[in-house]
Amino acid sequence: MPPTALFVLRRVAQLVPVVLMIAALNFVLLHLAPGDAADVLAGQAGHATPEFVEELRREFGLDRPLHARFFIFVGKVLALDLGRSPIQQTTVAKLILERLPATLLLMLSAILVATVLGVLLGVVAAVRHNKWADRLISVAALVAYATPMFWLGLMLIVLFSVYLDVLPSGGMAKIGSGYTGAAYALDVLQHLVLPAATLALFYVAIYTRLTRSSILEVYRLDFIRTARAKGLPERSVARHALRNALLPVVSLAGVQLGHLLGGSVLVETVFAWPGLGRLLFDALMQRDVNLLLGILFVSSVVVILVNLLVDLLYARLDPRIVYK
Amino acid sequence: MRGLRDCWHRYRRNRLAVVAAVALLAVMSLAVVGPVVYPRDPFEMVGRPFSPPLREYPLGTDVAGRDILAGIIHGARVSLLIAITASICAAVIGVIVGALAGYYGGLIDDALMRATEFFLTIPSFVLAVVLVAIFSPSVYSVTGAIAAVSWPSVARLVRGEFMAQRVRDYVQACFALGMSDRRVIFVHILPNTLSPVIVVTTLMVATAILTESGLSFLGLSDPNVVSWGYMIGVARTVLRVAWWMAAIPGVMIVITVLAINIAGEGLNDALNPRLKE
Amino acid sequence: MIKRELAGLMVALAVLLAAVAGTEAGEPKRGGTLTYTLHPEPTALSTIATTAIPVATIASKIYESLLEYEGPFLTPRPGLAESWSVSPDHTVYTFKLQRGVKWHDGTPFTSGDVKISIEKVVKPYHSRGAAYFGQLERVETPDPLTVVFRLKQPVPYFLKAFQPTESPILPKHVLDKLDLSDAKSVRQSELMQKPIGTGPFRLQEWKRGSHIILERNPTYWKPGRPYLDRIVLRVIPDGAARAIALENGEVDLVPMSSVPPAEIARLAALGHVARSDKGTEGLGPIMWLEINLRKAPLSDVRVRRAISLALDRKKITNVIWFGQGKPATSPIVSGGQYHDKSLKPFEHDPGKANALLDEAGYRRGPAGVRFKLVQNYQPYGESWVRQAEFIKQELGKIGIEVETQSLDFGAWLKRIFTDWDYEFTANSSHNYADPSIGVQRVFHSGNIKRGASYTNSMGYTNKRADELFDQAAVETDGAKRERLFAEIQQILREELPVVPLMELDWIQLWNKRVHGLITNGISIYTGWDSVWVE
Repeated sequence: MPPTALFVLRRVAQLVPVVLMIAALNFVLLHLAPGDAADVLAGQAGHATPEFVEELRREFGLDRPLHARFFIFVGKVLALDLGRSPIQQTTVAKLILERLPATLLLMLSAILVATVLGVLLGVVAAVRHNKWADRLISVAALVAYATPMFWLGLMLIVLFSVYLDVLPSGGMAKIGSGYTGAAYALDVLQHLVLPAATLALFYVAIYTRLTRSSILEVYRLDFIRTARAKGLPERSVARHALRNALLPVVSLAGVQLGHLLGGSVLVETVFAWPGLGRLLFDALMQRDVNLLLGILFVSSVVVILVNLLVDLLYARLDPRIVYK
Repeated sequence: MRGLRDCWHRYRRNRLAVVAAVALLAVMSLAVVGPVVYPRDPFEMVGRPFSPPLREYPLGTDVAGRDILAGIIHGARVSLLIAITASICAAVIGVIVGALAGYYGGLIDDALMRATEFFLTIPSFVLAVVLVAIFSPSVYSVTGAIAAVSWPSVARLVRGEFMAQRVRDYVQACFALGMSDRRVIFVHILPNTLSPVIVVTTLMVATAILTESGLSFLGLSDPNVVSWGYMIGVARTVLRVAWWMAAIPGVMIVITVLAINIAGEGLNDALNPRLKE
Repeated sequence: MIKRELAGLMVALAVLLAAVAGTEAGEPKRGGTLTYTLHPEPTALSTIATTAIPVATIASKIYESLLEYEGPFLTPRPGLAESWSVSPDHTVYTFKLQRGVKWHDGTPFTSGDVKISIEKVVKPYHSRGAAYFGQLERVETPDPLTVVFRLKQPVPYFLKAFQPTESPILPKHVLDKLDLSDAKSVRQSELMQKPIGTGPFRLQEWKRGSHIILERNPTYWKPGRPYLDRIVLRVIPDGAARAIALENGEVDLVPMSSVPPAEIARLAALGHVARSDKGTEGLGPIMWLEINLRKAPLSDVRVRRAISLALDRKKITNVIWFGQGKPATSPIVSGGQYHDKSLKPFEHDPGKANALLDEAGYRRGPAGVRFKLVQNYQPYGESWVRQAEFIKQELGKIGIEVETQSLDFGAWLKRIFTDWDYEFTANSSHNYADPSIGVQRVFHSGNIKRGASYTNSMGYTNKRADELFDQAAVETDGAKRERLFAEIQQILREELPVVPLMELDWIQLWNKRVHGLITNGISIYTGWDSVWVE
């Protein structure tokens, strides 16, 4: 078996117990909280009798003891059945699948913008090292890194949506517009600009600084001097340098995915973006444990898978990496 | 002592870092001395709501007619206190876990690393939100939650350091002398890992401030205190009418976080001198 | 000749006047879409699943009930019932149903639908079903267009029960396929998510997290109605974003105070936006401090009176809630028939409060603190937090140190209504159509039920009040009933098991291109068949 395949297989095999452990720990954590979905539903109904509430508990299996519910939960997870949300009255899987594309779209756009823009600015800064362009970019990056994401989002709404009125204030697409195909894509793109920009800015700053320092570091290394001594054109040298410099950027991108999911909670709230981040927050406030566990489970799996992809990408970029 | 003085000299050469340190000192004195000099209660309704800055009150009043300057001063104290406490707790936990994992290796390492991985797989802000919501928002739950999501990175760093140091000659010599594990860890290896830990902890304070303000924005802050994030949360609903209410605490956050980041990096350069370009 | 010219002038003038009058008063136009936004997103499309506000708002367009209502006091008018009669002893109600009514799937509507809906679904499973139909003995259907309700005892508010959110009529041919003896099978049935009603609108599309589209019911039984082609609910989780959407014209209506309070005043000042506190006054919203009478020193009525004296309700109304309502004088709202008008406004007098506490024996300690209390509040938004901060300040001034506890909805409900583990909490409530429905449940000692939300969490027991409530529930003489409720309000004013704060209005904001929205005290919860847009 080729080493790549073995590597992947081993990592996937490690995945299962980790994910199960995550699920178990999430479960315990969430059940520490006082109050449950039956309380919330009864409260929303306005005037509920104790029988009503007990009935709800029985409906959703909330009256069983904790360990019984835990085993039911584990069983379901293994069967990939994420259960049902009592508060939203549909299956968890359906809710997650409805919102997942929106979050993925937002996160991937943000990562793309952040990476491209970040690397570009980082290269410029490194090349124009210690000149005014470098200083400007570095300071801007520092400030961007220190700016709270939600605050930035609100300011952008006020500027672009209210005063300038060039971009929509929220949502993913214009309701009832009936757009299809290219028109729909354009509409979504318009709605995507501000939230993606807000989410991306923080990471643009990180990638800019990382790329810059990485390039500067690499340029000092021996193999660059060797390449130059051999008479390779500068462009070739640059390409080698970039390839090496990008390694930390790639590995960081994978790690940042987790942070991006956290940031998406804030950004999705401010921009009413119909994604998982906001769903998670609402589920938490409503004690919708099934939904919460489902979201945390799915996001953990996604993070692990992305880390796996990143490791593979890393290995391709740097053939010196030997799989243990 | 000589090492410290060398550090200071190196730090001083970085002008930006010095400016940052001064700014940071200013914010900290605001937090410490401010409430004594300007003792107004940030919750007290002193005047007409929505009063703009520089009219009746230096920074204006908020939605309920409360003094924004009082909020900034008290907020400095709360935000910094939570961030610093959480970071120190995280550092302590991280050092202990990382030291044990890196020193003993084997099963202990595996177990501790699995625990660390769990924390790293759930997005840290999400975990913080979940923890604060479960344990009801208060300064204790917020501080605890931030500490809980921050310690893994310290642990990983310390583990790496310990694994590297363990195979060094001076440590082997300690083993040969029959020193107890405790002595080796605390008296010999740990001091050598302190500088990266200090830098990481400093930078963690900055992230902690951002996390705390994010939590407050979502409504997860102690209702009995005012923090900068809380003030932005209050101002969020009136942004269109009075954008300065959110802008002012936001700017304070940016300044403080920026200062900590620059000072922290300056500290890093000073403690670990490399060939500068 | 002059006569002819004069006549021509008169005609021209008449035509001009008619044209002006036409555009001023506005002739309802057919067609168009009304977009509204409300938070949070509904979880079902029927109030049998839950009577939460977002669900009630949208379900009332899809389902109807026997009656409609007029005016702020909900005077009954024909709905699915074209006429009705009441027996002299008020225990038999006979309704004659409209002809030619069809369900959204084409099946004809008959009395059988009414019988099964009320007896088997509304009475057992609607959260207020027992309050309205507790005395219902049986429902008879002598013919497909007649329904007879037989009550064990007279229910003075019985005719108020037939609002589309309170007793929606559901289709028998769908209900027959469900196991109606099992709550779960009813509440989780597809009917709750894919409704079939008789109302002016039917479900076209529901994309969770984004929008719900209701389309016009082409076979609606009222000729020419509804005017609108579509109603769209846009899901916008953030309050500021909702305000911006209204301002930009992306939505036409934001009901039920669904934008931040500060935004309401700003938006109302815009030329194209209308604001009203009407359309929901029939729900009787009220806000108070609920006090756990089991805990000392709150068990001492003087402490409760002192707390009441320390709070400036005018400031609460004007500063905290931006003037959206008025100070309360009683748990029964002032708009209703049974409000005791002789009650004077609550005094604001911290000096008196201090004296009262001293006299009651709670002297100030060394730090100026008499005793500590923990306060909670209904976690519904920013203003509740501001109010809690305000209360903390004001009670601090009379020597009560207050610690505010922040809980999310589930934890708060459990603490207050299941564990009874609280000292005092700000809470809002609705009187609904009659005090026997919305007020009795809070103050009658029979309603001290662990685990049931919005009941008597204070543990209040007053035999006289209980008697009065029981009598009022079956008293059909209006004047006698008023006297009964007046006495109840006097008792509640004396004993203060809750400290009434404010009648907190629900505010509606809409784009002026929307017309015909406010027709009665529960307009937001009606079918909107008379609403039209320019």
